[in-house]
Amino acid sequence: MTFMKNIINVVNLSKSYSAGIKALDDISLDVGKGEVLVVMGPSGSGKSTLIRTFNGLESFDTGYLEILGIRLDPNGDEKNIREIRKRVGMVFQQFNLFPHLSILENITLAPIKVQKRQKIEAQEHALSLLSNMGILSHANKYPSQLSGGEQQRVAIARSLALKPDLLLFDEPTSALDPERVNEVLDAMRDLAKKGMAMVVVTHEVGFAKEVADRVLFMDAGRVIEISKPNIFFQNAKEERSRRFLNQIIK
Amino acid sequence: MDYMKFFSKKGDVRIHFNIYDIILNFLILSIATFSSVKIIVWSFFEANWSVVSKNLALFTFGSYPYHDRWRPSIWIIYLLILCFFTIFNKETKKKRRPLVFAWGLFVPTGLFLVCGGLGKYPIPISYLGGLSLTIMLTSCSLLFSFPFGIFLALCRQSELFLVRNISKLYIDFMRSFPLITVLFFGQLLIPLFLPNGVEVNRVARAVFAFTIFLSAYIAEDFRCGLQSIPVSQIEAGKVLGFNDFQITSLIVLPQAFTIALPALTNQVIGLFQNTSLMSILGLAELLGISRSLLANPEFIGSYLEVYIWLGLIYWLFCTIIAMLGRYFEYQLDYDGNNR
Repeated sequence: MTFMKNIINVVNLSKSYSAGIKALDDISLDVGKGEVLVVMGPSGSGKSTLIRTFNGLESFDTGYLEILGIRLDPNGDEKNIREIRKRVGMVFQQFNLFPHLSILENITLAPIKVQKRQKIEAQEHALSLLSNMGILSHANKYPSQLSGGEQQRVAIARSLALKPDLLLFDEPTSALDPERVNEVLDAMRDLAKKGMAMVVVTHEVGFAKEVADRVLFMDAGRVIEISKPNIFFQNAKEERSRRFLNQIIK
Repeated sequence: MDYMKFFSKKGDVRIHFNIYDIILNFLILSIATFSSVKIIVWSFFEANWSVVSKNLALFTFGSYPYHDRWRPSIWIIYLLILCFFTIFNKETKKKRRPLVFAWGLFVPTGLFLVCGGLGKYPIPISYLGGLSLTIMLTSCSLLFSFPFGIFLALCRQSELFLVRNISKLYIDFMRSFPLITVLFFGQLLIPLFLPNGVEVNRVARAVFAFTIFLSAYIAEDFRCGLQSIPVSQIEAGKVLGFNDFQITSLIVLPQAFTIALPALTNQVIGLFQNTSLMSILGLAELLGISRSLLANPEFIGSYLEVYIWLGLIYWLFCTIIAMLGRYFEYQLDYDGNNR
């Protein structure tokens, strides 16, 4: 039972759209406890689709998943998906904060309503998360009053408030000003150091080199290679990976 | 004239006159002066306002029993105080709670008072007339049509074929009737459907008719709000583990309400004015009471006075509703569009 050690097992996962285009093509991989997996690949390669299947935002046709020991089959039942979502956080490209709630309310809403935690305890937790993210002073502002980088850090704090065992990041820095990218990446580095398991879809080569335990390279819905970052960035095994890297590193 | 600069909020106003502007200005000014002088002269020297001043109580209470007029009076004063505190309230969210509570109690308090609560005898609500009846019709219809309208709007978005299409059918059906036919239906046909011996009073039937009509429109206003919430908001809710009901009530509806608010204010103003249609169906609300007054030989011929007075009352209340709407827009303006 090697499965028990892994928090993600993906076995022969496939998904195709009605036009016969394969979004995911027979993908198998695993992520261990405390591991940071960076997913790279050209746009349309199925990176986002892949990590969105991990918490049931995206369905799939064949194969199965095991997230934190909870099995998810095609047409997976709602109960398992809810169970997974309670333990897996996700950060989106566009932050997706709730614009009608203050920063503090954004973070405490789910702990209070989903986990039924005490309001005061949830607020204290939220404030400590905000101070870790360096945005404590914004607690009572509204999302529209914050910069993109600050909003994304709130989004990270919001998913951490549920004390997840795994965090999924879907291009967390792609919608940010170049100047604001590092503040978000720093927050993610901190998380990695604390041993949080993360799956990160990103184009940030520096971040991948420094933080990733392994890099997954995808193209056209297929896994091209999974390598340690030092191997992947210096001497990728596959020709397709090298071509991609030549394009993005100049 | 540089119109853009003239109308822009912050741009400096620079008006360059040419000969046409001067002629136009002169024309407009002289028409305005002429008509306002006429109106002032008429209202101070020619008009006979006794029809209004002698019947103020009638305009407010209709034929409500004399000794119990304090009941609707308290209720109307309660409303005006509430409106005042709401419109001029600059407090933060927490301190607003008593106000929300007071608004929630508004209709129950009114019904309790007007129907003879605290007194020895129940008073039939059909005794109510004039302004208090207009307010009663408006507030009761709103109380019922908002929840029902939201319910319809949510059903219309449902994934279930039957639920979605029944709600669609209902909305389209209701919108294809003029309001007056729905009101006729409420007054004349509903008694036929009821079993013998069961009688529902005219006010309740009117409220019923307004509710089934208005909720279709409110549903459509809410649909506009619901459709403008991006899917990503719902996804964010799912990812945080909320169930469907929580996503709808905590994330989608509050945002949809903010977006639908200007259209909803429109509906409320429209409803307030449309209650005057009930005068055709024999309820003595504001317009009804005025019509019966004008039929009184003592006041015959005072049309202009009565209708101007009526217009002023409607104007006052519609302005209050509009100010309330603007207040809510300001309060819920989380994106800073109106600041």
